[in-house]
Amino acid sequence: MRSELPDGRDALREKIIGLGETSLHKSYYPELQSRLAELERFRALLDQTYDAIFLIRAETGKLADVNASVRAYLGYSKKELLATSFADLFSPQQKAGFVELIRKKSDLPSECRQTCIASLMSRDEREIPMEITVRSVTFGGEQYVVAIARDITDRIRAERELKIKESALESSTNGILIADLTGAVMYANRSFAAMFGYGEEKAITGRNLEAFFADPTVGEKITGHLLDNHAIVQETIGLRNNGSPFHIQVSGSVVQNDAGQPLCIMLIAMDITGRFLTDQMKRETYAQLGKNIEQFAILGDHIRNPLQVIVGYAEMIDDPCAEKILEQSRRIDEIITELDRGWVESANVRQFLRKHGDDAEPECPPGGLSRTKRDCTDNHKTTGI
Amino acid sequence: MIQRSQLDLRKFVAPEFICGHGALQLAGRYARNFGMKQVLLVTDPGVRAAGWAEAVGESLTEAGISFTIFDSISVNPRSRQVMSGKDVYLSEECNGVVAVGGGSPMDCAKGIGIAGSNLRDILTFEGVDRVPVPAPPLICIPTTAGSSADVSQFAIITDEERKRKIAIVSKALVPDISLLDPEPLTTMSRQLTVDTGMDTLSHAIEAYVSNASSPMTDVHALEAIRLIHSALPAVTEEPENLNLRFSTLLASLHAGLAFSNASIGAVHALAHSLGGAYDLAHGRCTALLLEHVISANYEAAPDRYDRIGAIIGPVQAERTPPAEGVAAFRKTLGITGPLAAVGVREDAIPALAEQAYTDPCMVTNPRKLTCEDIERIYEYAFRTS
Ligand SMILES: [Fe+2]
Repeated sequence: MRSELPDGRDALREKIIGLGETSLHKSYYPELQSRLAELERFRALLDQTYDAIFLIRAETGKLADVNASVRAYLGYSKKELLATSFADLFSPQQKAGFVELIRKKSDLPSECRQTCIASLMSRDEREIPMEITVRSVTFGGEQYVVAIARDITDRIRAERELKIKESALESSTNGILIADLTGAVMYANRSFAAMFGYGEEKAITGRNLEAFFADPTVGEKITGHLLDNHAIVQETIGLRNNGSPFHIQVSGSVVQNDAGQPLCIMLIAMDITGRFLTDQMKRETYAQLGKNIEQFAILGDHIRNPLQVIVGYAEMIDDPCAEKILEQSRRIDEIITELDRGWVESANVRQFLRKHGDDAEPECPPGGLSRTKRDCTDNHKTTGI
Repeated sequence: MIQRSQLDLRKFVAPEFICGHGALQLAGRYARNFGMKQVLLVTDPGVRAAGWAEAVGESLTEAGISFTIFDSISVNPRSRQVMSGKDVYLSEECNGVVAVGGGSPMDCAKGIGIAGSNLRDILTFEGVDRVPVPAPPLICIPTTAGSSADVSQFAIITDEERKRKIAIVSKALVPDISLLDPEPLTTMSRQLTVDTGMDTLSHAIEAYVSNASSPMTDVHALEAIRLIHSALPAVTEEPENLNLRFSTLLASLHAGLAFSNASIGAVHALAHSLGGAYDLAHGRCTALLLEHVISANYEAAPDRYDRIGAIIGPVQAERTPPAEGVAAFRKTLGITGPLAAVGVREDAIPALAEQAYTDPCMVTNPRKLTCEDIERIYEYAFRTS
């Protein structure tokens, strides 16, 4: 009798005779519902992925299931896709290859996967380049092949752009070198290798910057400067593989990531030996010209000073020759004045030359040259005599 | 005295079952109907040697179903055996269980099913209604006529660490179908026949006097008592007689339907404790305890016990005290005590009683027994031959 039993026993008895809250006959339905809900969640996850997922019947090659991305990429409805063979989604040239791939794949164990690049054809006949991974699986005793296709349009474009940039670097006539922040070389282009006398670019990789400068501390200084200032332009003396020095101009910059952190440094080297020699020749030429002008001025002074004495003397004497002497003296003065004027007229030329010689000459020019210039001007002003 | 009202809430759960000659051969068909593809065929070495597991295996093969045999099961199945069966079930990727044998393989199969679907240790299911995820489909083919595990909501597993039997009670343990074929019974030994027959009688009597009995269970309980009382002595004389074997099988079915719904009582609570501690055959334990429990319970349900006595008594017309009638019946079958003779120690009785007191079967016993009452029952059985 129920009332005879203490509380705990009463509840236990209720359950034993099947009247407890969960005294239920075996039913798979609640479990089935929870598994279905789990599957639906999983399906939703699969539909969220950008990868196109195909489940292919190994025996027929027909599609058994696809995720939402497949429909989005190809523009077919699910119903249309399920009536299609996987191989039919490729261009006619690639189709035969895929028929064979599915046939072969279904004979292999599931852990064996294979990846290939191919283009899927959309309903509007666009070709979509895809990287496709296939592997075989068995569900409920039936053999399938799962293909996961990833759109690689962006990757191909990025690779192409990268290739162009790489080629540009490689084919540049300037020597280009990329080193890590410790100065170890990661890359050097063809021109750099040739400029520094290395047979191939690979011989440079891994070396330290110091190997390329006559002063081994320069490499370290450049790296240090770049880390503080991010850019540098400097002329220095490079060192070839065979130990011979040569003049170079180095411009460098720091390569940074999106967050502004330095990744590596890039140096562009130019061989300036030719320019250096030209500059030297120019400097020498300007110096010679200066000397010549000075000598001309002195020569003028040397002629004009005695001429002043001669004119003074001739004006004092009363001699029929005096007039002749004066006339000749004026002619001489005119010639010298003409010479002076010729130099004055070429002032623009000299100015130009002087300007381009400035950087090679001291800020304060030698007294001789300065004096000559002033004297010339004075002489020109006094030509009224 | 038990006060019952026919208006008390009662539930009746029964599995689908097919009985008759050749039922065994339907295993394949039903396995296929339940969607089984890979079956764990749970049996024991004796049943396998008799060829019944092989016969069921053929039926599965004919239906195109693969199977793996698991027969590492002893009398009184151990929790470790259940867990290793579960490991085989999972590793072989089974999706259904077919049990062929007596109570041990069937209880073990129930345990494997719930341990496999819930992925938990079998001992954690001890008690009533503690199976959250239903087990996979289970088909039972009994080869003894006694345990009725093929229709019951019980699974009794031995916890070998603590040398005790645990009861797992859940409507979710009721098999999906039971195939009752008399033919496998013909290979049972005389001892197994009478032990399992006495278990059937105990089930029927305990269900009939249970405080949770109902008009539905009464019909089955009384029919079981009638059938086993008449068929069991006869079948010991003619073990090959299919009709007599079928009667014992029907008796077991009726008793199973009765006790699975009305539950059982002190005989089983005491037998579980005894069998767990001494690894004794379950039927033998119930046979040696039944008459003493009847004596202890009699006053709580005298009318019901008298009705049992009327069936069991040597002369139907005369009312015989049921305890005496049961004792006489046992002896005619050659089952003799005392418990002392089968290795039980008298000083172990208090511990046995304490264990029996907490057995869930005790809550439906018609009389609420104290530990002292239980000790006294054990003491009688300890001495009675
Ligand atoms: Fe039993």
